Amino acid sequence: MTQPNTTELARHRRERMMMWLQLTPVLLVLSVLFGGALILAVMQSLGFAPWFGVNTFPDFSYFGALWGSWSFWQSLGLTLYYAIVSTVIALVMGIFLALAMVRMFPCKTLYKYLYKLPLMIPYTVGIALAVIMLGNGGMISRLSAFFGFIGDPSEFPQILKTHYGWGVIAVYVWKQTPFVTLTIYAVLLGVGRETEEAASILGASKRQIFFQVTMPQILPGIVSSTLIIFAFNIGAFEAPFILGGGFPDTLPVVAWRYFNDADYTLQLQGMATVVSIALIASIILYSYLAFYRRYERRIGRN
Amino acid sequence: MARRKFKSALNSRLSGFQKIYLLLIAGFILGPFIPLLIQSFAFRWAWPDLLPGTWWLEQREKSLLPLAWDYVLSPYSRVWEATLNTVFIGLVVTVICLAICLPAARVLAREKFRGKSAFEFFLSMPLIVPEAAIGIALLMIFIRLGLAGSYTGIIIVHLIPTIPYMIRMLTAVYQGLGTDFEEQAMILGASRWQVMRMVTLPMLLPGVVAGALFTFLVSTNIFLLTFFMGQGKIITLPTLLFSKIAGGTLDASAAGITLVVTVPGIILLLITERFIKEEAFGKGFGN
Repeated sequence: MTQPNTTELARHRRERMMMWLQLTPVLLVLSVLFGGALILAVMQSLGFAPWFGVNTFPDFSYFGALWGSWSFWQSLGLTLYYAIVSTVIALVMGIFLALAMVRMFPCKTLYKYLYKLPLMIPYTVGIALAVIMLGNGGMISRLSAFFGFIGDPSEFPQILKTHYGWGVIAVYVWKQTPFVTLTIYAVLLGVGRETEEAASILGASKRQIFFQVTMPQILPGIVSSTLIIFAFNIGAFEAPFILGGGFPDTLPVVAWRYFNDADYTLQLQGMATVVSIALIASIILYSYLAFYRRYERRIGRN
Repeated sequence: MARRKFKSALNSRLSGFQKIYLLLIAGFILGPFIPLLIQSFAFRWAWPDLLPGTWWLEQREKSLLPLAWDYVLSPYSRVWEATLNTVFIGLVVTVICLAICLPAARVLAREKFRGKSAFEFFLSMPLIVPEAAIGIALLMIFIRLGLAGSYTGIIIVHLIPTIPYMIRMLTAVYQGLGTDFEEQAMILGASRWQVMRMVTLPMLLPGVVAGALFTFLVSTNIFLLTFFMGQGKIITLPTLLFSKIAGGTLDASAAGITLVVTVPGIILLLITERFIKEEAFGKGFGN
C-alpha cells in the first residue's frame, strides 16, 4: 500500500525539480545581473568602494550631499516633468489611435505597418528627426519663413535645448505612441465588441460606452504600457542629453556626468544619483500599481 | 429615432474626426523622414529654402556619388563596422535569450506553482527599472571584471531588456499550443525526444521565430546599455548615430547615417508584422 505512494511522491518531486531546473537559467541570469547591480549600487552609494581606497560603509553623506543640493531637486523635477508630460500625451494619442484602428478602413493593412515604424527604430533616429524638424534651421523654421512669419532663423522660437523640453517630449511621444497603441489595440482585439454592442442596445450614449464599457476593459493595457514608457522616460539618457537645455540636467545625465568626472570620488555621488533614480521610480510605479489594484478590486475584478 | 442612435454607436466605420486623425498621425510618424531624405541628397541647402539650392545631381562633375552617401558608404564613417557589430551582437543575444527563455516559458505556460505570479513579476522587472540605473551600476562591476568595452559585456547586458519580451512572447506561444497533440503522440507510443522533435518543435516554430525576430530587434535598438558598456571601443548603429548628432546639428552625412540606421527596422517590420502576435503585448503586470 505504501509502495505506490512513495513512487508517486518521488515522481512528483522529480517533476518539481525538473520544473525548477527549467526556470533556473533565466532566474539566475536576471538575479545575478539585476540583483548584483542593485546591491552593489546601494553599497557604493553608501561609501563602499575599496578600489578607490574609499571604505566608509555605511556612510549617508553622499545621499546627504546629493539631496541637500537644490540642483538635485531641480533635476528631479525636470526628469519627472519630461516623463509625465510625454507619457500622458502618448497615452491620449495612443488611445485615440487604437480606437480608430479597430474600425474598418481602406489601406488598414498598410496602416498597421506604417504606425509601427517608430517602434522598430532606435531613439537616436527620433532625435535626428527632431533636430531636422524642430531646430532653428529646421524644416518647421523654413516653413514659417516660407509663410512669412519669420525673417531670420534666430527669430524662430527655440524649441530644442530649452528646459521646456518640447524636443525631448516630441521624441518620446513619436516613439511611444505606437507602443501604447499596439498594447491597447491588442486588448481591444481580445475583448471584442460584444459588450459595447450590448451597452448600445441598452441605450448607452457614445460617451457612456467609452467611459463605462471600453475604458475599464482597456485599463490593464493602459496601466502596463504607461508603466513601461514612464519607467523608460525616467531613465532615458540620449534625448535629454542632446535635446535638453543643459544645467540643470535630468537625473540620468547628471549621473553620467558624475561618472565621467576626472574626480574619481564623484563616482560615489553618481551612484547615489543612480540609486535615487531607481528609488523614486519604484516608489512612483509601485504606488501606481497599488492604486490600480485597489481600483480593480473595487470594481470586482481579480 | 432609437434605431438611428444604435447605428451611430455601433458604427464600425471611421468617423470624420478619426479619418483626419489617422492621416495626421501618419504625417507625424513619416513626415520627418522627407526632409531627412532630401538632406542626404542635397549639395547645398541654405535656410530658408524649402528645397536644396543645389542638388547633388547638378554637381555630379564634382562627385560621382551623392556627397553624404559617398562618406556613409566609405570606411571612414564606420557604418559597416557598426552594422556588423549590431548584427553580430543581436544574433548572439537572440540565441542565448532563446536558449534560457524557452524552458522557462514552457513551465510558465503550463505549470501552476507557488510564487508563480511573483516570479512573473520579477521577469517583468527589467521593463520598469530605469535603464540608466542598471546600466551605470553594472558598468562599475564590469569595469572591475574587465568586461567593459568587450563583446561579452555588451551581450550580457543586452539580455536584461530582451528577456522580458522573449518570455512574454514564448509564454503566449506555449499557451496557444495546448498539450493535446503531445499527449496524443505519447499515447501512440512516441518517446519524449520524438515528441519534442516531431510534434512540439514544428508547432512551436512560428512563435519562436517571432520571438527571436523581436528579440533581435530590441537588441539592435538598445542605445544606453551599449553606449555605457561599449566604452567607445565597440560601436553599434545607435551609438554611431548618437556620436554624429551629439552636438545637436544634423549635416548631410548624419542624415545619411540616420537613414542607414532606419533600414534594419524597416526590414524587420516587413518580416515580423506577419509573425508578431499582438496579444503578447496586451498582457498586464502581475495579474
